[in-house]
Amino acid sequence: MDFIIIAQMVVSGALMGLVYALIAYGFQLTFSTSKSINFGQGELVMLSAFFSLTLLDWGAPFWLMVPGGLLFGVVLGLAVERAGLRLALEQKSEGWILLTIIIGLLGFSAAENIWGRDDRPFPTPISSDAMQFFGVSITPLEISVAIGVFSLMGLIELFKRKTLLGKAFEAVSADRDAAELMGISATRTVMLSYGLSGLVAAMAGILVSPITTVGPTMASALILKAFSVAVVAGLDSGFGVVVVGIFLGALESLTSFYLGSGWREAPGLILLILALAVRPNGVFGKATIRKV
Amino acid sequence: MKKTLITMLLLGMLAAPVFAAETIKIAITGPFTGGSAPMGASMRDGAKLAIAEINAGGGVSVGDKKMQFEVIERDDEAKNDRGALIAQELASMSDLSGVIGSVNTGVVLAGDKHFQEKGITKIITPAAGSASMTQWSKAGVPDLSIFRFAAHDGIQSEMVVEEAINRKFTKVAIMYDATNYGVSGRDDMLDQIKKQGNKLEVVASEKFNIGDKDMTAQLLRAKSAGAQAILIWGIGPELAAFANGMAKMEMKMPLIGGWTLSMSNFIDNATKNGNGTLMPQTFIEEPITPKVKSFIDGYHKAYNVTRIASPVSAAQGYDAVFIFAAAVKQAQSLDTRKIKEALEDLRDPVEGVITTWKHPFSKWDPANEQTHEAFRREQVVMGMVQDGRVVFGNDSDRQRLIKNASK
Repeated sequence: MDFIIIAQMVVSGALMGLVYALIAYGFQLTFSTSKSINFGQGELVMLSAFFSLTLLDWGAPFWLMVPGGLLFGVVLGLAVERAGLRLALEQKSEGWILLTIIIGLLGFSAAENIWGRDDRPFPTPISSDAMQFFGVSITPLEISVAIGVFSLMGLIELFKRKTLLGKAFEAVSADRDAAELMGISATRTVMLSYGLSGLVAAMAGILVSPITTVGPTMASALILKAFSVAVVAGLDSGFGVVVVGIFLGALESLTSFYLGSGWREAPGLILLILALAVRPNGVFGKATIRKV
Repeated sequence: MKKTLITMLLLGMLAAPVFAAETIKIAITGPFTGGSAPMGASMRDGAKLAIAEINAGGGVSVGDKKMQFEVIERDDEAKNDRGALIAQELASMSDLSGVIGSVNTGVVLAGDKHFQEKGITKIITPAAGSASMTQWSKAGVPDLSIFRFAAHDGIQSEMVVEEAINRKFTKVAIMYDATNYGVSGRDDMLDQIKKQGNKLEVVASEKFNIGDKDMTAQLLRAKSAGAQAILIWGIGPELAAFANGMAKMEMKMPLIGGWTLSMSNFIDNATKNGNGTLMPQTFIEEPITPKVKSFIDGYHKAYNVTRIASPVSAAQGYDAVFIFAAAVKQAQSLDTRKIKEALEDLRDPVEGVITTWKHPFSKWDPANEQTHEAFRREQVVMGMVQDGRVVFGNDSDRQRLIKNASK
C-alpha cells in the first residue's frame, strides 16, 4: 500500500512537472539565441489557451483547434519579439526586462476584459477516466500531456540539429558575432526563437487546460515553477529541463504528502536557492568561460 | 432658444428632487463580475425580479401614496477595498432607504461599519461567513442596522456534520482552503463534531490554496487514513479540483460541504464527477409548489436562461426585497431608521419563495446575534448535485417543504 501511494504521488507529480519543463523549455529557446527571456511567458500560455477555447466555442473541431491555437502562440511570440525585444537588443539595453513584463500585464488585463475573470472548463475528447497500472491511477488525459510534451520538444530538437535553419539557430546560440560574420542574420534567428517559444507556450496551454481549467490567473503558479526548473536545470539544456521538471514535480507531491500540503511550494524554492548559490549555471548547464 | 433651454434645465433641477421623493431608493451591491459573479448576479436578478413585481402592482402604499422602488446598483467585484468605497458612497446618500447584498464576507467586514455608523438599514444576502454578524456582538453595539438573510456557516456546518453522522460514517477527512472563509469553516465543523457527541473521528485535516489544481496529496492522505467521507470548505474552482481528483483515484466517498458546492463554477468544472456532492441549500430550483414554480418561470423568462446560476442567491435576493417592502409598509415611511425598527418587529407574515416569513428578525441583542439572523435550521435543506443541477439530497426535505406550503 505504501509503495503504491509513493508511486501514485511520483507519477502525478512528474506529469505536472512535464508541463513545468515545457514552459521552461520556452525560456531556454529565447535565452540561447538572445540571452533574453520573456517574463510574460505565462500570459502567452494563458492567452493561447483562451484563444483555443474560443475556437472550440466557434465550433472548430478539436484537431483543427490544436494547430490554430499553436499558430496563435507563434504570432504572439513574434509580436513580443518585435515590440519588446528587437530595439532593446540592438541597443544592448536591458529595457526588454520591463517591456516583456509590461506586455504580459497588458495581455492579462486584455484577457480579463475579453474573456472574463472566471475559470472555465476546457472541453476535450480525451477521456479523463482513470486507468490502473499496478495500482497507480493515470488518466489518458495525463498521458496525452506526456506525449505532447515529448513529441513537441523532440521535434524542435530535431529541427535544430537536422535543418539548415536549425543549424543557424545553433550557430547564433554558440556565438552570435561569429555567426553574423558567417552571414547568418541574428535578428531573424532571434525572431525564430521567439516564434518557437510562443509555439511551446501555446502547446503548454492546450495540454494543461483540460486538467486545470482556463482562467486569467491559470499560468501564474505554473510560470514560477517553470522558472525554477529553467534556472535549476541551466538555461541551455533541453534534456536538463525534462529531468529537473519531473524531479521537481515528484518532489512537490511527496513533500505535500509527507510534510503536509502547506509545504508544497518549499522544495522548488529551496532548489532554486541551492542552485543559484552552488551552481549558478544550473545542474546541467555549461560553465561559461569568458576571455578577458 | 438658449433661454428656453436654460429654463428647462432649471425646471428639471427643481423637479428632480420632488420626483425622487416619490420612490423608495434601495441599493443592491455585490460582485457582478469575477469569480463570485454567479452568486452576486443571481442575487441582483432575483431582487430586481421582486422589485419589478412590486412596481408592476403599483408599489408600496406609504400614507396615501403608492411608492415605487428605485434601484441603485453597485458592483463590488468581490474586492474588499471596492466594497468599502461603495459603502461609504451609499452611506453618504441622504435619501437612501436601505441596502441589500454582499456575497463575500471580507467585503461585508470592510464596508458594513459605514452603514452602521450612519444607521443605514442593510440586509446581507447571500454572504454566509459567521464573522459578518459576530463582529457586532463581539463589539457589543447596543443598536444595529445590519440584518442577515442567509443560512450562516453555523447552520451549514451543523448540517454537514449531521449528514455525515446520519450516513453512518465514523471517519472523516476535513479539507479547507487557506482563506478566512475556509479556516473558520474548519473551526465550525470541528466545533459541531464536538457538540454532536464526537461521533466522527477526523483522520485527516488538510489545507489547500486558492488556485491549486492538483489535490492528489491531500486526497491520498485522506484515503490512506481510511476516511469514509470528505467534509470540505472552499470555493468553486478548487472544490472542482477535488471532485475531479477523487474520480481519478476512484475514491467513491461523498463530498459534503458548504453551500459553495452549488456554485456554477463547481458544477461546470466538475461535470459528472460532481454528482452526489451534498451541501446545505435554502432553495432548490425545482417547482415543488405553485409559488416556487412561478418564481422559477419568472426568472427564466426575465433573464432568458434555463438554469439559475445560483438559485440560492436568486431566491434570497427575491425574498429579501419582499421583507424589506413589508417593513416599508409597516413603517409607513422611507426613513431608513424607521424601516429598521419595523424589520425588528414585522407583524404581518411575508409570503416568500423560500418560506412564509413570520417575524424573521427581532430587537437586536448584543449577546445574541441570532436576533438579526433570519434563517433557522428548518428553512435549510440538503441539496445534491445531479447532472449539472442541484436537486433535493433527501426526499424527506422535499415532502416537508410541500407540506409546509400547503398549511
